[in-house]
Amino acid sequence: MIELQLTLAYISSIVMQAAEGAANQPMLTKEGAAAIGFGLSAIGAGMAERSIGSAAVGAIAEDDDMFVSGLILTVIPETIVIFGLVVVFII
Amino acid sequence: MNTTVGSANYSYVTARVRSRRAALFDENDYRKLIRMGPGEIARFMEESEYETEMNALGSRYDGVDLIEYALNENLAKHFDDLLRFADGQLNEYIASYLRKFDAWNIKTIIRGVYTDSETQEIQDDLIRAGEFSDAMLDRLVESTSIDSVVEQLSKTLYGPALADAYEVYEETGVLVALENAVDRAFYSDMLGGFPREPSEGTAMYVQLLRAEIDFRNVRNALRLARSGAEIDPSEYFIPDGRLFDADQLRQLTQNPDQLTEYLRESTYGRDLSGALDELESADGLIDFERALEQALLEYADTMTNRFPLSICPVIAYIRAKEREVDNIRAIARGKQAGLSTDEIEEELVIV
Repeated sequence: MIELQLTLAYISSIVMQAAEGAANQPMLTKEGAAAIGFGLSAIGAGMAERSIGSAAVGAIAEDDDMFVSGLILTVIPETIVIFGLVVVFII
Repeated sequence: MNTTVGSANYSYVTARVRSRRAALFDENDYRKLIRMGPGEIARFMEESEYETEMNALGSRYDGVDLIEYALNENLAKHFDDLLRFADGQLNEYIASYLRKFDAWNIKTIIRGVYTDSETQEIQDDLIRAGEFSDAMLDRLVESTSIDSVVEQLSKTLYGPALADAYEVYEETGVLVALENAVDRAFYSDMLGGFPREPSEGTAMYVQLLRAEIDFRNVRNALRLARSGAEIDPSEYFIPDGRLFDADQLRQLTQNPDQLTEYLRESTYGRDLSGALDELESADGLIDFERALEQALLEYADTMTNRFPLSICPVIAYIRAKEREVDNIRAIARGKQAGLSTDEIEEELVIV
């Protein structure tokens, strides 16, 4: 949860800086918004991988054959990060 | 469901536990075991999960004794493992559930002392998976009178209840009061320790415990009904179950046919329909108890499927493992005593 709070603090500081700048400029540049989106998606993936990873390690500890499927299942939430990265490329 | 409550590591523990649950002996293994002699059973076990224990104890014991020691040792090892895996709240739940082996051990010791059994014999039947230390159990086993057992337990949570029950025991000379006191102290301590509005995890644990109490109540009531003894069922009644109060149970005891009907309409009805059918067709008390046991195991499994990241898989595993050990013991002892395959099959609870 601490990561989320940090991100929010970061966003609000950017917003404040932008507000202090010229009035007719956008609060956040396109690149900045994409970067925040990408960061949030990475945090989301991390949270998802946390419990999948610990379950996978538990399963592998009981049975070595679970290694491959455990690894695959653990990295499935990485797709969320890729979606986040796509946003960076298409802006 | 939130899996990050406190520092409980549900995902890790449930993954390990479910893997172990799946590795327990299944119907096929039992079918093979039933056809074997004691020697073959021992060899079969050497090639299975019990390998380490069989090899470690093999030089000291043989035959059915070896099987029995290996089973107990393996059970204790697995349950200690569970405590090692689990963190935070989950660890507390498991520890409190494993105290049931303390209750079991106390009952075994009291019975042993009552019948003047050999120290070694009592020791063999203990399951060292609970909270009591080995030293404490050894001291208890060496007691010469029930009085001193009760005295030694006075500082534990069973103390007050046992002290009261001991007076009854002195008047009547029947162990039932003492054994009941242990059960009641155990369950009320477990349920009493939880807040009034429990968290999701705790609520689930409480639900499983109450199911266990309900089934125990049913079993006790049935035993009384079949034995025909003029004992008030409410004396055996463990409060805090969710199905019955003492009065209802008394009525149902007098009319066992209504019991399955009552269970079918209760909250367990939908989960247990299969087991209840078996319960209805069961004619002897043994059949009935076996069906009840099976129903309880099935209930834990149903809960496991419904709440995969919770205490449920762990409890389901503990119960299933216990059953496996009981089953193998029944097969080995049955073979030793020369029972027929059918007779042994009747003793098994396979889920």
